[in-house]
Amino acid sequence: MSWEKDIDEIKRRRDLAKQQGGSASVARQHEKGRLTIRERIDGLLDDGSFNEVGEGAGVPEYDDTGALTDFQPANFVLGFGDIDGRRVIVGGEDFTLKGGSPNPAGLRKSVYAEQLALKYKVPLIRLHEGGGGSVGGTGQEKNRRPLGEPVFSTSRFVPLAETLGHVPVATAALGPVAGLPAARLVASHFSVMTEDAAVLIAGPQVVKRALGHDMTKEELGGPQVHLKSGAIDNLASSEEDALNQIARFLSYVPDNAWQRPARKSCTDPIDRCEDALANIVPTERRQPFQMRKVITHVVDHEAEGASSFFEMSRKFGPSLITGLARMNGHAVGVIGNDCMFYAGAMTAAAAQKLRRFIDFCNSFHLPVLSFVDEPGFMIGPDSEAAGTIRHGTAAISAVLQSRVPWASIQVQKAFGVAAQAHFGPDAYVLSWPSAASGALPVEGGVAVAFARDIAAADDPAARQKELEDMLAASQSPFPRAEGFSVHEIIDPRETRPKLAAWLDIAQAAQTDAPTPFSATMRP
Amino acid sequence: MKVKVASEIAGQVWKSVARVGDDLAADDVIIILESMKMEIPILAPRAGKLIELHVAEEDMVAEDQAIATLDVS
Repeated sequence: MSWEKDIDEIKRRRDLAKQQGGSASVARQHEKGRLTIRERIDGLLDDGSFNEVGEGAGVPEYDDTGALTDFQPANFVLGFGDIDGRRVIVGGEDFTLKGGSPNPAGLRKSVYAEQLALKYKVPLIRLHEGGGGSVGGTGQEKNRRPLGEPVFSTSRFVPLAETLGHVPVATAALGPVAGLPAARLVASHFSVMTEDAAVLIAGPQVVKRALGHDMTKEELGGPQVHLKSGAIDNLASSEEDALNQIARFLSYVPDNAWQRPARKSCTDPIDRCEDALANIVPTERRQPFQMRKVITHVVDHEAEGASSFFEMSRKFGPSLITGLARMNGHAVGVIGNDCMFYAGAMTAAAAQKLRRFIDFCNSFHLPVLSFVDEPGFMIGPDSEAAGTIRHGTAAISAVLQSRVPWASIQVQKAFGVAAQAHFGPDAYVLSWPSAASGALPVEGGVAVAFARDIAAADDPAARQKELEDMLAASQSPFPRAEGFSVHEIIDPRETRPKLAAWLDIAQAAQTDAPTPFSATMRP
Repeated sequence: MKVKVASEIAGQVWKSVARVGDDLAADDVIIILESMKMEIPILAPRAGKLIELHVAEEDMVAEDQAIATLDVS
């Protein structure tokens, strides 16, 4: 007697598992221009590093003699692997089997992804393409009335929620993603979708039946919808681009909340002073400027002049820019107002984006560089109806409950309550000569505060202009520097050297062992 | 091929810069909106001939409203 037969059986099952949904189903996937989950995982990970978990899980079929006749693998592929030499957990639905809608083993493996990430404290990557549960149940239960989960079982949403505070989570939508996979897709710090992906709570047929809308899944949940809704952070031009963006995101964050981000060597001189910064802000306040250029002039340049700035969530709440970058090799979170959108005003969406981003920076010990050009909360009926005041106040609370080193560069405007959202506790504050601060921008404030004065003047327009000029002078940054209410007023070209020097000092003072972040309830 | 150019922001048309018939390069200014007391240019997303302007000076523009059509073929 020997075990040879059983050992052969293991090999046979492994081979069957690799066939996924079968050659016809895999071919259909390729015809759509999409990769299979195994090809995606191979594309993401360093060569040969995939160490699969639960290869033998699946749905077997036996004949009358008890011999295995077929084996449908779990339609969620899971395992460890390396990205740029760093260990991660990666998993994703196999769309070639039941359209990714979970079979029993697939469901169990998918739920285990978060548990593995929590147990081993490594980043979690989920590559989604698939639907949620079906009315018919998950295969084995078809002919039985569903019994539900036992009362003593732990909800799968417990680890899903917990991961966000413990390990970096990056996800991709690489085809239609609906139901539970869609919820898992957005339970992430960074999510990316391809052009032909769709993210849906429920698909077109369900929507038509319930609400009468006759829409395609792209119209319901394509990139045009979800980059603006904020459900998804970035668009990818291809599956390869999506995987590259995930790898890039991971390069800025530590493996878990008990570590700090790794510092990389920096070839960009820290005393690089860009002449373009001197006059990048127009002296005429009606003229906009490109805050992204300010950011990229200041943060590290990498090999071949590429910027270290990696923007996230550009289309959602676009009056605020959020992204990751490096400064003298340190990973940092970067925020900045974009005056091309409502003068950079804080909308409800921008406030939600800011709160989420600042919580993320705090969770993974990323210092924040804040480039300030804030005219205040967005005004008007749409803004009131969106509840901007609550979302904005929540964002301010998140900023002021921050624990990471924080530097603010006052580039231009810092007005109203919303200005508070750009200065963390005990922030290092640099002011450019173009800075202007106060309760209200002069252009709006004068008309309100001096309404009677202006109306009573012989030439109201001239009086308004006179008052505006007088008050504009009072918003100058020089008195604030004299009063030491900013650390320094600087030549804009000095921004990089000043920030690099400060960050080295601030990071050296981070002597406590890093721990997960928690905060109180927000407004 | 025709491409519609939409405004990403709400505002009022302050100035028409490009004229119908102009050959535009990518990032050329088509119109300038006044929004929140700032002059915000709406740029050609790619090179093409401006074949139609859908708004005139002083018109109000809503978010996502098409303001021009380019022929990019």
